[in-house]
Amino acid sequence: MKTYIITRVLLAVPMVLIILTIIFFVLRILPGNPVMALLGPKAPPQVIKAMEHEMGLDKPIIVQYWDYLKDIAKGDFGNSAYTGVPVIQELMQKFPATLELTIFAMIVAVSIGIFFGTYGAYHFGKTLDVAARVYSIFVYSFPVFWFGIMLQLIFGVWLHWLPVSGRSSPFMIPNHIYTGLYVIDSILNLQWDVLLDTVEHLVLPSVALGVVISSIFVRMVRSNVLLSLSSQYVVAARARGASEKKVLFKHALKNAMAPILTIMGLEFALLLAGAVLTETTFSWPGIGSYLVTRISYRDFPAIQGTIVFFALFVAIVSILVDIINAWVDPRVRY
Amino acid sequence: MKKYAIFAVTLILLVSAVSMFAMSAKDYVIVGTTDKVTSLDPAKAYEYFSDNILQNVMTGLVEYIPGTTKLVPALAKSWEISPDGLTYTFHLKSGLKFSNGDPINAQAFKFSIDRVIRLKQNPSFLLADVVKDVKVIDDLDFEIHLKYPFAPFINILAFTVSYPVDPKVYPADKVYNGLPVASGPYMITKLVRGQEVELRRNPNYYGKPAKTPIILLKIYRAANNLYMALLNGEVDVAYRTLLPQQFAQIENNPKFKVYVGKSPFIREVVFDVNVKPFDNPRVREAISYAINRKQISTEIFKSQVVPLYTLIPDGMWGHKNVMPKYDPQKAIEILKSLGYSKSNPLKISLWYTPSHYGSTESDLALTIKNNLEATGLVKCEVKYAEWATYIDYWTKGVMGMFLLGWYPDYFDPDDYMWPFLESKASPSMGSYYSNKTVDQLLLDARLLSDVPGRTALYSAVQDIMVKEAPYVPLFQGEQQVVAKPEVGGILMDPVQIFRYYLLYKK
Repeated sequence: MKTYIITRVLLAVPMVLIILTIIFFVLRILPGNPVMALLGPKAPPQVIKAMEHEMGLDKPIIVQYWDYLKDIAKGDFGNSAYTGVPVIQELMQKFPATLELTIFAMIVAVSIGIFFGTYGAYHFGKTLDVAARVYSIFVYSFPVFWFGIMLQLIFGVWLHWLPVSGRSSPFMIPNHIYTGLYVIDSILNLQWDVLLDTVEHLVLPSVALGVVISSIFVRMVRSNVLLSLSSQYVVAARARGASEKKVLFKHALKNAMAPILTIMGLEFALLLAGAVLTETTFSWPGIGSYLVTRISYRDFPAIQGTIVFFALFVAIVSILVDIINAWVDPRVRY
Repeated sequence: MKKYAIFAVTLILLVSAVSMFAMSAKDYVIVGTTDKVTSLDPAKAYEYFSDNILQNVMTGLVEYIPGTTKLVPALAKSWEISPDGLTYTFHLKSGLKFSNGDPINAQAFKFSIDRVIRLKQNPSFLLADVVKDVKVIDDLDFEIHLKYPFAPFINILAFTVSYPVDPKVYPADKVYNGLPVASGPYMITKLVRGQEVELRRNPNYYGKPAKTPIILLKIYRAANNLYMALLNGEVDVAYRTLLPQQFAQIENNPKFKVYVGKSPFIREVVFDVNVKPFDNPRVREAISYAINRKQISTEIFKSQVVPLYTLIPDGMWGHKNVMPKYDPQKAIEILKSLGYSKSNPLKISLWYTPSHYGSTESDLALTIKNNLEATGLVKCEVKYAEWATYIDYWTKGVMGMFLLGWYPDYFDPDDYMWPFLESKASPSMGSYYSNKTVDQLLLDARLLSDVPGRTALYSAVQDIMVKEAPYVPLFQGEQQVVAKPEVGGILMDPVQIFRYYLLYKK
């Protein structure tokens, strides 16, 4: 197990390095000078030169690359060219918003997946099963931003039930920020009105993202539960007189969960990508919105920092999932 | 069951107890926008939104009376101009303080003006081109010496670049990235880029306090997001920028009040006069005949913009409606005389930038392309680049014909003529236009101080524009504000300063 974890961690290093290299060079090949984007067209040449020097852009590209690698190795993502604030500090501010959205979207996706998948499999070939399959094909083809706008229109603009933008209403934020996750922070602060407001704001974006992602879970759960239902331990359970509910949830679903856990890890990466679109649709102040804004300013350190941060995060999550898998399912050997 | 009931009652009590301390809705106004904050250092800020925020949190020596173009003393009590027009002596009001309690004095002004010139950021040319030096006489009095007499100088002093900064906080040789130290009605208490700006009353402001204690500026990514939030009641005021069709829909919605006013914002086609075939003034002239501004105004902008036929906007003195009106026949004649025909059309590219000027930009470019191609003698390819790339391209001369827009720095025709046409200034606009006669006329107009004399000079320059056409002015914008009916104090200012400090809830 130990060697396995070490190998996995070591394998993540080249992956991050490859992503980092690609993003570094792609940014520099693209047209658009970050200094000009920051200073505007009227900047006198000496100011442009000074700024280029300050940002290290006057050095040969290989030297810039090497400097960047050295900084990253030290955990230094550099300062944003746009705000002058360390990128890591900005990411740490934005990340909890994205994480909160991602977690809630995951809860939505998994709940839908388990419900439709399990019952679909149980009622194999019947209306509910067909409905589950149609649903999964249908939502898989939803562009998340389109679905988001529809939800905004229906539940916000028409019914006025829920807010359509941001993380909270004015002045409705937790008094003390402990985790950056407003749901947890508002509970820790015993601010129930803030909790209610936070949840209201979370509903539409996490449903939009969660529903789009849920189709994969529906199909995965369905096929895995189908497999379990036809296995001998289910037959044995039924032979022992176990109730259908117990057979379905305790025996079939529980055994079908291991591969679903793996998918959850993989989906987490997809969710982060989906978060970029969801965040722009719902003006959600997370890393996705941050990345999109900074791309338009050619803020090299911020763009690179965000991508590397994403890559590291996905790597860590997938390692964790593998470890949990190995721990949950004793048959997994490395 | 009983347990749940007790829990529910406690929860309700807790929620109501907490909400009792919550702020009343009248204590704040939420303004939604799609604009972005860049720098809030007056030495660097040089685009609409950042400047507009500064105009609410800082003050200069002089300011415009709200709703007019008339300048009155602000931090200055009075001033004198020497007979040769080279020395401006200012006397400050006494007891002025920044929001942090530091004094606003003559030294602060000298520090700030010197700093703008030293830092050489975007707006620095406004002062650097004319100011020789600043001399402190005592705490409340100082002189600004100019390199040459410059009539609109006092207008520049009303612009953000001339606002004083606190010498104890702002570094002398670096751009300041922190929250501004205020001298105006509001101070910034929170700034989250791309998300929100919180303004609270500045207790040390010398003038009338702001009407509402707190203004929250909520920043939306695109017009759609702002529109949804507006319809859902999440913002009290929407300012800049909904799509024309969204604005047209809101106009018919009884739940909102709509305000419309003239704007000094203009849009234009720029020609890089060094790039073929635009080096030929006849080609540029033909293009200016072929573009149908009325169609642009009605079809793309739902008549929310006004066609413009010179660089100086309508409503400003010096405006002369001179450039060719839409006349495709005339365009065809000129193009034919240049040897272009159906089999040998004029082949050109028109560039635009897709997001900087809102999502109508591609339609604008396509309409112009269609106008040009309707002559039958032009083949126009439409190309685009994101803003960062766009700037890079125009400074490198990649684009021969492209779309641009302009907000004035100071409310004077000079700001619509000099940066566009003066030989040393025009490269920054990407046109590289140069004409000795025009340079001389523009300089003469700077040296004069009487309006009729300057009007005559600008009139001569605009007459030259008719044949030379280094720009095709397209239209003049409109200020549009949508607000809930209970919001008052919305003022359509001719200099387009949106005054948050006048907003209140009825």
